[in-house]
Amino acid sequence: MNTVIDAHNISKIYNPKTIPVYAVNNVHLHLRRGEFTALVGPSGSGKTTLLNLIGGLDKPDEGRIEINGTDITQLSPNRLIDFRLHNIGFVFQAFNLVPVLTAEENVEFIMQLQGISHRQRQQRLDVLFRQIGLQDKRHARPAELSGGQQQRVAVARALASRPQFVLADEPTANLDSKSAANLLDIMATLNQEENMTFIFSTHDQRVIERARRVITLVDGRITSDTDAVDTSADHSTPVIPTAAEPAKSQT
Amino acid sequence: MILIMAWRNIWRNKSRSTIILSSVAIGLFAGVFMLALYKGMIDGRIRIVIEDEASHLQLHRPEFKKDYEAAYFIPDSGIARSISTIEGVRAIAPRNIAQGMVSTGTGSNGVEVRGVLADSERLVSGLDRKITAGHYFSSGKKNELLIGKRLFDKMKLQLGNKVVLTFTDKDNNVVSAAFRITGVFQSTSSAFEERVVYVGNRELAALLNTPGKFHELAVLLYKNEDLDKAEHLLQTRFPNLLIESWKEISPETELAISTTNQLSLIIIVIIMLALAFGIINTMLMAILERTRETGMMLALGMNKPRLFLLVLAETILLTLAGTPAGLVLSWGTIYFTSRHGINTASFAKDLMSSFGYSSVIYPRFPADQLISVLIIVAATAILSALFPAIKALRMRPVEALRR
Repeated sequence: MNTVIDAHNISKIYNPKTIPVYAVNNVHLHLRRGEFTALVGPSGSGKTTLLNLIGGLDKPDEGRIEINGTDITQLSPNRLIDFRLHNIGFVFQAFNLVPVLTAEENVEFIMQLQGISHRQRQQRLDVLFRQIGLQDKRHARPAELSGGQQQRVAVARALASRPQFVLADEPTANLDSKSAANLLDIMATLNQEENMTFIFSTHDQRVIERARRVITLVDGRITSDTDAVDTSADHSTPVIPTAAEPAKSQT
Repeated sequence: MILIMAWRNIWRNKSRSTIILSSVAIGLFAGVFMLALYKGMIDGRIRIVIEDEASHLQLHRPEFKKDYEAAYFIPDSGIARSISTIEGVRAIAPRNIAQGMVSTGTGSNGVEVRGVLADSERLVSGLDRKITAGHYFSSGKKNELLIGKRLFDKMKLQLGNKVVLTFTDKDNNVVSAAFRITGVFQSTSSAFEERVVYVGNRELAALLNTPGKFHELAVLLYKNEDLDKAEHLLQTRFPNLLIESWKEISPETELAISTTNQLSLIIIVIIMLALAFGIINTMLMAILERTRETGMMLALGMNKPRLFLLVLAETILLTLAGTPAGLVLSWGTIYFTSRHGINTASFAKDLMSSFGYSSVIYPRFPADQLISVLIIVAATAILSALFPAIKALRMRPVEALRR
């Protein structure tokens, strides 16, 4: 398996000149292709901040982050936008679809930004909408879709650019149980069939149970990093690595 | 896709966009109608200059124009015949002119006395059509005088009254003669009405001691477009005469034409600038309402030039969407008013005519300035897009997504 994300001793500090608050504190993270990882922890533990750093939406104050060998902390804002377009897929808690575009257009839009031809876009749309099971809703506007359907479209949009990995921030938080289970099934299938790497920040026990690796954050530090190939694995006795000792994946 | 998004974004808040579209349409209507009004005013002024005051072209002895001395008459009466052979010439009116005074028992006034041939004057200035009281020159009668309505009223005259005209003849002798008021003419220019009186050419020539001679040849063309060509031709044929077009005789009219065109475009710019603030406000509200969405697009990889293009396209579409309505409204209003005219006398009395402009304005659609107007509208849209676009470009996705 190749390394997709390699974060070295990254920290994000708020109010550095007054009362410094470490949202992410000296985190070392190593993720390989095909991982299905849940980032868990209480509110304010730094999950979203860590996802933002990995996703290149924010810059760490210390450390460096390599995505497929590219140190994204050294990229200019404009290069970073371009890098995100081609390498990272995002799924947000509030779906964040463009309301004036149809489901299909929301997904196609990303491919258009990438400069993919019309024919290739249509082929990809066919595949993606089949995978998320919304072929009959391609021309519906987000307001005409349920929350679960919108989040499935968001997943399709995240995958449209054929990214290196998909970051999902609390993807099931706004969904009912059935929709959440359905979404997780889709993402798990994509992970298994296409070896797509997923990283979730979540509180949702259903997501944690489906994850094959669970990283726990407390006060901006990784307090445990467990591999759970068996979904029935006991999470009560997590492995707690030190900051200097990177977590290892066995998947 | 950016254009589709921009267009659909406009209609996310229908009432707000409708207000802006209406503002653009009304602003554009105001601007275009004002242009049309100015054009109508200028057209009216040109018509007055040509019909009442100067015709298209005038020929004089160069010395005559300095002091209007009767001695400087045009030497050869065959000139008129020669001019009539020039293509595009419609009519020629020979005139004798004297600067003098009209007096009654109760008062006097400085006037320009024009000695005219009834038939040719009818063709060149349409003087017979301007008679509102009494009658035009009748054949055979002597010492008839046509006076402007304004002077007629000012001097409290009545039809049939006798007045005395006093001026100097070609030998600088002061001569006076009595004339009877047989007609009152009304012009679109009150200044002209107060300054000019008409008498028969033969009587005036006799008094000036210039029988069979003329001081002025007024030339009326079929088309104003032929003016430069005809002027050039006359200058070639009669190098010793002063040939002037109405533009030279009435330079203030020529100046008014050029300055009015520029002034009206400046006023449109001012109207559009005022509109720009409304558009900026609307676009800023739209951008701020969509902070999270903008953050999401930046996060997903929409680069800044594309984001700028999106805001620009949205602003331009918002502005241009109101343009057809504004143009149609302008065209309809101009079409109607150009047929019926706008009578300014009903609210401004003789304000317009006192400045030499017609009281009734017939607006003309400013087709020749339409491109300039549309460029101003497009520039307004682009200008209005800048501030909201910069605001959007300054967003950091991580902060915008938190909103």
